[in-house]
Amino acid sequence: MAVLTPELRAQAEAIVARYPRPRSAILPLLYLVQSVEGWVSPEGLREVAELLGLRTAEVEAVATFYTMIRPRPTGRHVVNVCTNLSCALRGGRDVYAAAREAAGLRPGEESSADGLFTVREEECLGACDGAPVMQVDFANHERVTPERARELLDALRRGEVPAPSRGAAPRDFRHACRILAGVEDLA
Amino acid sequence: MSREPVTLTIDGREITVPAGTLVIRAAERLGIEIPRFCDHPFLAPAGACRQCYVEIEGQAKLVTSCTTRVAPDMAVRTQVTSELVRRAQAANLEFLLLNHPLDCPVCDRGGECPLQDQALAFGPGESRYIEPKRTYRKPIPLSPLVNLDRERCVLCARCTRFCDEISGDRFIELYDRGAGERVSIAAGEDFRSPFSGNTIQICPVGALTATPYRFVARPFDLSSTDSTCAHCAAGCAIRVDVRRGKVVRVLARDDVEVNDAWICDKGRFAFAAPDRPERVTTPLVRARGLEPASFQEVLGEIAARCRGGRVGILVGGRLADEDAYALSKLARTVLGTNDLDHRRAFHGGRAELLAAARPMSVTYRDVEEAAAILVVGLDAEQELPILHLRIRKAARRGARVFVLHARRTRLHDLGEHLLVRPGHEAFALERIREALAAGGDGPEARIAAALAEAGERAVVLAGPRLAEHPLAADVALGLAERVGARFALCARRAGDRGALRAGVHPTLLPGGRRVTDDVERGQVEAVWGPIPAEPGRDAMGILRAAAGRELDVLYLVGVDPLRDLPDPALARRALANAGYTVIQGLELGELEPYADAFLPAAAAAERDGRVTTWEGRPRPLRAARAPLGLSRPDWEIFVGLAEALGADLGLGSLEAIRAEAEPLLAPREVPVRSSAWGAAGPPQWIEERVLFTYPLLVDEGRLLEGATELKAALEEEPFAEIHREDAEALGVADGGWVRVRTSAGDAVVRARVGETVAPGAVFVPFNQPGLPVAELLAGRFTVGVHLEPAAEPAAEEVA
Ligand code: SF4
Ligand code: SF4
Ligand code: FES
Ligand code: FES
Repeated sequence: MAVLTPELRAQAEAIVARYPRPRSAILPLLYLVQSVEGWVSPEGLREVAELLGLRTAEVEAVATFYTMIRPRPTGRHVVNVCTNLSCALRGGRDVYAAAREAAGLRPGEESSADGLFTVREEECLGACDGAPVMQVDFANHERVTPERARELLDALRRGEVPAPSRGAAPRDFRHACRILAGVEDLA
Repeated sequence: MSREPVTLTIDGREITVPAGTLVIRAAERLGIEIPRFCDHPFLAPAGACRQCYVEIEGQAKLVTSCTTRVAPDMAVRTQVTSELVRRAQAANLEFLLLNHPLDCPVCDRGGECPLQDQALAFGPGESRYIEPKRTYRKPIPLSPLVNLDRERCVLCARCTRFCDEISGDRFIELYDRGAGERVSIAAGEDFRSPFSGNTIQICPVGALTATPYRFVARPFDLSSTDSTCAHCAAGCAIRVDVRRGKVVRVLARDDVEVNDAWICDKGRFAFAAPDRPERVTTPLVRARGLEPASFQEVLGEIAARCRGGRVGILVGGRLADEDAYALSKLARTVLGTNDLDHRRAFHGGRAELLAAARPMSVTYRDVEEAAAILVVGLDAEQELPILHLRIRKAARRGARVFVLHARRTRLHDLGEHLLVRPGHEAFALERIREALAAGGDGPEARIAAALAEAGERAVVLAGPRLAEHPLAADVALGLAERVGARFALCARRAGDRGALRAGVHPTLLPGGRRVTDDVERGQVEAVWGPIPAEPGRDAMGILRAAAGRELDVLYLVGVDPLRDLPDPALARRALANAGYTVIQGLELGELEPYADAFLPAAAAAERDGRVTTWEGRPRPLRAARAPLGLSRPDWEIFVGLAEALGADLGLGSLEAIRAEAEPLLAPREVPVRSSAWGAAGPPQWIEERVLFTYPLLVDEGRLLEGATELKAALEEEPFAEIHREDAEALGVADGGWVRVRTSAGDAVVRARVGETVAPGAVFVPFNQPGLPVAELLAGRFTVGVHLEPAAEPAAEEVA
């Protein structure tokens, strides 16, 4: 079963055409696949490689380098909590624990059984001035307290799209991936 | 790039080097060895391992000398004069060893390991680390040949850079990052590159190991000999490692003029054939059966048959140059015949004459420095793998590469392919020639423009596919001459060019002198004495003569006409009807029932001599061990046979052979127009579908016997590659079964449908397991073919 429908394949080809070398389109195409699957499966890797005329390993090397590309199925929302130095000093670990609890994760689990949440620890998100930082579907929420983390997850559970610290937020993880693939705008 | 020299000091010593030189290389020139893991002289700088730190005056931090280029008045301090650098290097080694397993006692690399050596020379000397080490499952097979032991890996990226920069076979990559970074391959894939073994050799630790060599030897148990690979005409410099009389490993040696630092997996892993039990190492003569006898007896018996008889000689592709010369002389002056041939397809024509007369018309360096390269009728990756790597290198340096072939080759990512049906190459070449003047915008015009622009920096490499018609190679040569390009007719097998030069050929004597030309023949007669003046028969002609009972003796030297030549039915008749059949080689194989006498030859690794590359460059063979049993080098057998016939070839040693051959093989001019070649007439435009075949790198060839892992890694199931248009017209599905029928026979194989062959052409690899394609051929390597969809054959029909 192909991951990309004919329509998405056409979009993928349009993306490839934007770059002088096909290889440059690896990340956008990985996001495109992720916007369909919620993660990038081995089949998805192979499809990207085939579209770009690359070996699967070349694509997988990139996919495994970037933590934004997920090697396992995710929930509807992906919550990344920074626990690197600045954030850890300002309580990032507690935020992480609170987010896990609010998502209903059992020890060892990354994604919730209801399919709603994936909660991950992340390294520095490059926004240390706003520590501790929590990302919801790649949109940064800054100076997050454990309470705020719980509120955010509850709002997501109700189907709301909480406003991030700056700009607008994607509806969910797959929507975020479509934006990052360059096939949709953040409206 | 401007190469103004730059003067700098390293550890207070002044040195002047070309601009752009890396500091680590400049230090080498002063004899200062900076420790390193990722640096490799044939790979681009990476700065991955951080071992090569040096201090540069005026710079706050230490820098990696393998990525830093020299600058005027730079003052560099290495570990020799800087305590800071010493401490940094020791710290880096300590860091690399943190997670390194205590495998040295069982590691193939132990005793010749850069990590061991550099830890000893530059390391801290004691370990402070008592925590548990990171462990991985091991070994992880990347292919049947290559194993990965992640715990030993220092993440230097040499292996992945080789695959990226050199072979382009990017099967392995560095995955993940940070502490989880690791070499890996995509799930379900094999490291299916014919150059995979190079990664093992350049891995600076024992993280990559070769299945055939795992746990086989300690380096200090090996006796090593520098030699040349005799598996193809690339002529790679190799080192042959022998343990207790057996070859256990072959490594590449560096040689910038030939193979840089690389060899292919066939050269590296196909070394077991001479040690197989099927090898025959005693002379045999037919009495009640084939019975062992002394060389003297067998040669005496053969001599008796040859005396006054008509002899035809077929030769394979593995003779050393000295063998070829001795045989050429034996045939003409003692056996009185020109009926000898080493070719399996027939060039004729001026291109062949030039190849016989003038070596080194194109060298590896010319290829590397070319601005435009046209490859015609050659699948370089499969037929001359190291030439393929050189073409890739040239492409990376900016050369424009074009391939004119019936089938897509592995240059497809770097070069433009023009797929033409086998037999139609000459027409395409003509169109290119026309486009030189007429211009246009098709592929022919692009090729013409690129060649014309490159002028003397253009190279035309013609391969075996052009051998099917005398005119094809000549048209390629004519095109090259028109644009002032360099031209080479590339021999495939290690012995081909030497045999051609020496005159193992029905109409050519040493140096390409024509038998039929009294002056040229006279030049050889002045050295050899009288030579028959009638042109001899070519290989197929010799078989036909034998089949027609016109030969008293059929002498087969390192050749199996049932397997190697394109008409096994004819070969069977020839073997059955020859008056007396002599086999000379490593084994009898399926020729056994036909043999009247057998002469055991030494394998390439068992003898001294020379082989000639496709360029025409002589390369040394050196004996890595003594010949097994009574076997001896071919030239000695030829000299012995002459003696048994009461003649003295005057070729009592390799030196004597070389001394006599040298003046005859000196480069000479050849006439602009050759005569007596045109019997074949112009090529025919072929309307029907055509099957064509050539051997892939790894096949069922005799010298690959015993290379089990190599075959498992690279051998292909038999297949028929068919163009999509043809497949659709015929209703053949990709992966489905197709019946391939020719005038000689038929077979059912799996179809591979795509755009990788020219429309109208069907490619089936030669000599694959379970499909003796030769049985479908009728005297040539192309044959008209009829295709139809077929049902899956019953299990016993599929090997
Ligand atoms: S496997 Fe060897 S060559 Fe490859 S990165 Fe590791 S240490 Fe380097
Ligand atoms: S390219 Fe040819 S000569 Fe070189 S290692 Fe391979 S088979 Fe041997
Ligand atoms: S440490 Fe958390 S954003 Fe930098
Ligand atoms: S040798 Fe310089 S960083 Fe590896």
